[in-house]
Amino acid sequence: MAAERGNVPIPAAPNKAESFQIRKARLRTSFLSQLPGRLADARRAVAKLRASEIDHAHLDALYILFHTLKGSGATFGFRQISDAAESAEQAVRHAMDSGGRVEAALPAELARLLDDLAALALAAEVQVDPDVTPGFELPGPEPEPTSGHALGARPGQPADRSQRMVYLCDDDPDLAAQLAGQLGCFGYRVRAFTTLADLREAVDAERPSAMILDVVFPEDENAGPKMLAELRAGEEEAIPCIFISCRDDFGGRLQAVRAGGSAYCTKPIKTVELLEFLDRLTSPHPPEPINVLVVDDDRELAQFHATVLEEAGMVAKAVSDPEQVLSLLDTFDADLVLMDMYMPDCSGPELSRILRQMPGHVSLPIIYVSSETDVERQHKALAVGADGFLTKPIEPDRLIAEVGLRAERMRILHSLMVRDGLTGLFNHNAIMQFLEVAVANARRAGTSLCFAMLDVDHFKSVNDTYGHPTGDQVLMALSRTLRLRLRDDDLVGRYGGEEFAVVLNGVGVEQARRILDALRTSFSNVTFFSDGQEFRCTFSVGVAHFPTFDTPDAMTEAADRALYRAKKGGRNRVEIATEQDTLPEPEPEPAPTPESTGTSDGS
Amino acid sequence: MRILIVDDDPFAGAMAEAILDAEGHDCKLVESGVEALDALGEAHEGFDLVISDMHMPLLSGLDLFREMRERGISTAFVLLTGDDPEPLHSQAPEIAACLMKDASLEVTLPAAVAGL
Repeated sequence: MAAERGNVPIPAAPNKAESFQIRKARLRTSFLSQLPGRLADARRAVAKLRASEIDHAHLDALYILFHTLKGSGATFGFRQISDAAESAEQAVRHAMDSGGRVEAALPAELARLLDDLAALALAAEVQVDPDVTPGFELPGPEPEPTSGHALGARPGQPADRSQRMVYLCDDDPDLAAQLAGQLGCFGYRVRAFTTLADLREAVDAERPSAMILDVVFPEDENAGPKMLAELRAGEEEAIPCIFISCRDDFGGRLQAVRAGGSAYCTKPIKTVELLEFLDRLTSPHPPEPINVLVVDDDRELAQFHATVLEEAGMVAKAVSDPEQVLSLLDTFDADLVLMDMYMPDCSGPELSRILRQMPGHVSLPIIYVSSETDVERQHKALAVGADGFLTKPIEPDRLIAEVGLRAERMRILHSLMVRDGLTGLFNHNAIMQFLEVAVANARRAGTSLCFAMLDVDHFKSVNDTYGHPTGDQVLMALSRTLRLRLRDDDLVGRYGGEEFAVVLNGVGVEQARRILDALRTSFSNVTFFSDGQEFRCTFSVGVAHFPTFDTPDAMTEAADRALYRAKKGGRNRVEIATEQDTLPEPEPEPAPTPESTGTSDGS
Repeated sequence: MRILIVDDDPFAGAMAEAILDAEGHDCKLVESGVEALDALGEAHEGFDLVISDMHMPLLSGLDLFREMRERGISTAFVLLTGDDPEPLHSQAPEIAACLMKDASLEVTLPAAVAGL
C-alpha cells in the first residue's frame, strides 16, 4: 500500500482519453490506496491530543482531514466511510466549538472511529476489486464495543468478537484487505498493516488480542517470525500469534514455532480454519470443559481418575460396567474415553472394537489404562483403534496432560471436519446427525422440537447480477444472522448451496414461527453492497414439528415441502408443514417450474 | 467551457475534473484559493466558470468567491460542500449553484454547469 506519510498524495495524472467510468474507477481505487496514509496522519494527530488542554492546531488539522474524507468518501460512493468520517468531524467540531478544549473522552472516541474507518477502508478496497468480495452491514442488536480493550469477552459468543482487536500484517495489500474484510464479517475488529514497522508501532501503542503475521516479507524470508520473537523479547505476557504463509516447508514452520507462533495456516487461507484458531486464541477460556468418560471395572479407581480430571476443570463421568458405555455416550458428549484394558466381562480392546464399528464413534479418542508393561501386548491392544496407553499407577499430572492434550487436538480436528468451509456452520452431514440426536432426545424426554429449512430467495440472480463473491457474502451474512440471533442450544447448519437448516430444541410450532419470522424480517433489512450498488435479500422457510412428524426423515421431507409451498406462495415467508405435506406431491404440472427447492436454480 | 476547479483534496478535485471532462469541458485543477486567485489574475487563462470546494485551509470557498468579487472578477461560481448546501447558498445567493459533495455529483454537477 503506497501510504505516503505526512504529505497529501496525488492521484496519477489523468488520462483524458479514458471513459468517465474508467477514470472514476481509477480515482476510487487511488482514493482508497492513500486512505491508510491519511488515517495514519490522523492517528498521529490524535496521539498528540492531551485531555483538558486547549489545542487549536491539532483540532483544526483533524477537522479538515475528516471533513475532506467525508466529502470525497461521499463523492466516490463510499457512504459508510463518509458517515464514519462525519461522526469524527462532528466530534472534533464539538471540541472546536467549546473553545478548543480536548475532552477526556475525545481521543478514545476518535481512535475508535479511526479503527472503524480503517476497517471500512479495507472492506471498501475489497469492494472496488470485482474479483473479491464486497462488504455488508448487519442491523440488529449488536452491542457497541464500549472500549478498545478486550474486556470481559464471554466465551463462545460470536458477538463478543467485536471487542477483540486483531492485528494483521501481510505485505500483500489485496490479501490483507480480503482477510480483514472476511474476519470483519465474523465480528472481529481487524487492523491490517502491510509493513512490519507499522505493525510494531501499533503494537507499542496498543496491544491486540491476537496477531496474524505473514512469514515471508520482502526484506527477509523469515521476517514475520523474527518480528514476533523481537516483540516477545520485551514482553512479560505474549500476544498470541497465527502465522500465515505460502511457505509450507519445514524451515518456515520451524521458525514460526521457535518464535512462539500458536498456529500456522498455509495460503490460500481457509477463513474458517483461521477463525477456529482465532476464536481459540482470543477466547479467555475454552468454550466448554473437556468431557471424559472413565471406564474401569474397579469402581474406586474409576472414580479416582474422574476426580483428578474434574479437579483440572474437566467434566468426567465414571462407569464400571462396559455395557453402560453405549447408552451413556448417547447423552454424554464425550471428547475422550479413558478405558481400563482388562475388565472381566468385556476387555478394553473389545469395547474399542464395538465403538469403532459405530459411525458416530469412529473418531472418539480412546486411551487405555493398564498395569500392562509388555510392549508387544500394548501394541496389540492399540491395534484395534486406540490412541494411547497409560501405565498404572498414573501420576495425576500426567493423566491430566495426556487427556487434555488429546481431547483438545481431537476437538479442533472434529470442528474442522463438521463445519462448512465458507460459513463456519455445521455441514450437511453434521446437521443431519444432530437432528437425529435431537429427535431421539425429544422422544425420550417427551418434548417437542422444530426443524426448519431456509432457502435464500432468487439466489441465482444475486450470483448472476453481482458475481459469486457477492453471493458468498450473502451466505456469510445469513449464517452470521442465524448464529447471532439463535439460542446457544439451537443448531444451525448449511444444508447445501443457499439452503440452511436449523434445529430448534424444545420449541413448539408457534414459537418456531415467531423466531423464524423475526429472523426473516431482520435479514430482509440487511443492506448488501456490491461495486457501489446496494441490494437486499430475503429467504423462505419451511418448518416441520416433532412429534407431528416423528422421524428425522419425515421431518426433513415435510420441511422441504413446506419450503416449497413458501416459495410458491410468493417467497419471503415462513410456512409450517401440515399433515398433507407428508402426502406425495400432486402430479407435476406439464412444464416443471424452476421452483424446485432441492436445487439452487431460480430459487 | 473553460473551468477552474479548486479543491484541497486532490481526489475530489480529480473526480470533478473527470466528470466535467466527460462533458467535453476544458478543466484546470488547483488546490487552494490562493492558487485560484493567481490563475484568475492571469488574463490569458480566461475561465468561464470556477468550481470550488467550500472547506479549505486558509481561504474557504466562500472567502474565495467574495475575494473574487472584491477584485472585480465576475466569473460564474459554483460551490461544492460536504455539508447541507442550502444554508450555505443563502449566505451568498449570487453563487450560481451550491452542490452537495456526494455520489450524486456525477449528475448534479453537469446539470448545474449546463444550466448556466
